[in-house]
Amino acid sequence: MEQVKPTRMELMKKKAQIKLAEQGRDLLREKMDALIQEFFKILSSVSDSRDELDQISRAADLALMIAAATDDPVTLRSASFATRRSITVGISGKNIMGVPVPVIEKKRVSKSMLERGYGIIATSARIDETAERYEVELDLLIKLAETETAMRRLGAEIQMNRRRVNALEQILIPELRSQAKYIKNAIEEREREDLFRLKKVKSLLEKKKKKVREKKQQEAVSPG
Amino acid sequence: MDWGYINARIRGMKSRLLDHRTLDNLILQPDMDSLIAELEKTAYREDLIEAKGKYTGVTAVEYALRNNFVRTFRKVLDFSKEKEARLYISIFLHRWDVQNIKTILRGKNIHVTNEEIVDCLVPVGELDEATLTELVRQPDVKAVIDLLATWDIRWARPLTTAFPEFAKSGDLGMLECALDRFYYNDALQAVSAKGADNAKIRQVLSLEVDVVNIKTILRMVRDRIAPEDAQKFLLEGGQALDEKMIARVLVLPTIAEAAAMLSTTWYPTLHPTRYRFLATIPEDVLRAQKISVIEKQLERHLVREGVDSFLGDPLSVASLIGYFWAKYNEITNIRIISRCKTADFPVENLREELVYV
Repeated sequence: MEQVKPTRMELMKKKAQIKLAEQGRDLLREKMDALIQEFFKILSSVSDSRDELDQISRAADLALMIAAATDDPVTLRSASFATRRSITVGISGKNIMGVPVPVIEKKRVSKSMLERGYGIIATSARIDETAERYEVELDLLIKLAETETAMRRLGAEIQMNRRRVNALEQILIPELRSQAKYIKNAIEEREREDLFRLKKVKSLLEKKKKKVREKKQQEAVSPG
Repeated sequence: MDWGYINARIRGMKSRLLDHRTLDNLILQPDMDSLIAELEKTAYREDLIEAKGKYTGVTAVEYALRNNFVRTFRKVLDFSKEKEARLYISIFLHRWDVQNIKTILRGKNIHVTNEEIVDCLVPVGELDEATLTELVRQPDVKAVIDLLATWDIRWARPLTTAFPEFAKSGDLGMLECALDRFYYNDALQAVSAKGADNAKIRQVLSLEVDVVNIKTILRMVRDRIAPEDAQKFLLEGGQALDEKMIARVLVLPTIAEAAAMLSTTWYPTLHPTRYRFLATIPEDVLRAQKISVIEKQLERHLVREGVDSFLGDPLSVASLIGYFWAKYNEITNIRIISRCKTADFPVENLREELVYV
């Protein structure tokens, strides 16, 4: 409090600061509400996708196990050589309430039997089905990577906003208010002191005047 | 003629194949270790001991099974002096040559390390380990084909013919398809001479061609591949499907309709109801387009027909064919059991997965 000058100007400045902080807090709250809404929207789609991914992943593992069991694992590995390809994804971005989130643009990983690269005659439908399931899993994984990153970023932004709101609400605004209160009290105190001083001066002046008047009256009563 | 001796040896070897009780016992083993312990009580003991020195768990079992299969082939080849018997064994062994060449080409096409390629090779055919290693050392697909051609290895012919198409499209499937077609054509050509043994081998090969073609047709129909493209992937030499029938099936929109049409295939003089079982495939399987289920039925049919060769003339190649299919069946079953044990697969589901018991 010692640094605060207890002046009217300072009080006006503090009041303006309080108003600004309250406005900022309200805006941040609104932004947080909007972010939370977006977050829950993405969360429900992510949790659906996760369940779907679990199911697909289990089905893919089972298909792989059956293919490895029935066809020789060596045949399976050899077929996998033919299909080994890199996946190209393009990453751009979009804004959700000022939060940059990634948008993954990719070609569909799922391929037709002829696109996989291995010969059709000596391979089995079990290998096709295994490849197909893993391709679906990969498609879903890329989609999930996009939504989960968006969710993580929104979550981080919500947390940051909450901290800002808390800082405004719990620290900055109360401090500004207490400073304003201190200034107000100091000004009032000063006003009271001034008033008292004025009254004192007035009473001294009146006493002085009274003394002068009494002296003049005495002189008038006894001229000699 | 040596058929009496071959037949006696084969029947002796057949008696050592695992019976249903032993397979059931394997299914009921609680874990991989006890499964291996049980398998060590069978004819696989020697191979398992060797495999356990290099690998553990299911990998050791699979290695042992592969070795045992190869050893069995070599053993039969050693005591078979009959031309037809040796011919059938060499046709069977050529599959590994084709498979090994495909593995090398696939690896070279995407620049897999030589070690990774070598891990996937099974040197049991005409191409021995040294030949395969030299092929693996080549820098690219073209160099592999060139080396095969330089050594005048038969598999160079289809690859050289199909190479320009591969060079244009980059589609390795073209080379593989040419290789597979050549394998079946070459095998059928080798047994084209007259004689009961050749006829029997031709019959088994034709049956296999039919099964492979039916599987390919169903996969093509499912993926809606244009009939003119699909024709390129079909093999010649089958008995059950003629060109007209194939053309009619390939234009069908669903695998349910394709399976229904294929089930009506009949040849009064051969097998009037050979593929009738295709009409009994459950509707949900057809709706979900699960060709693997139909494939299982087709493979079961193929194995059954192969194993039934035992019922043929004992003084012919029939018992040899029957034995090979029975051995193949046994090895596949053990592999399924061991894989399912590793994945903690429930026993009831495991029994369903066993293709050929």
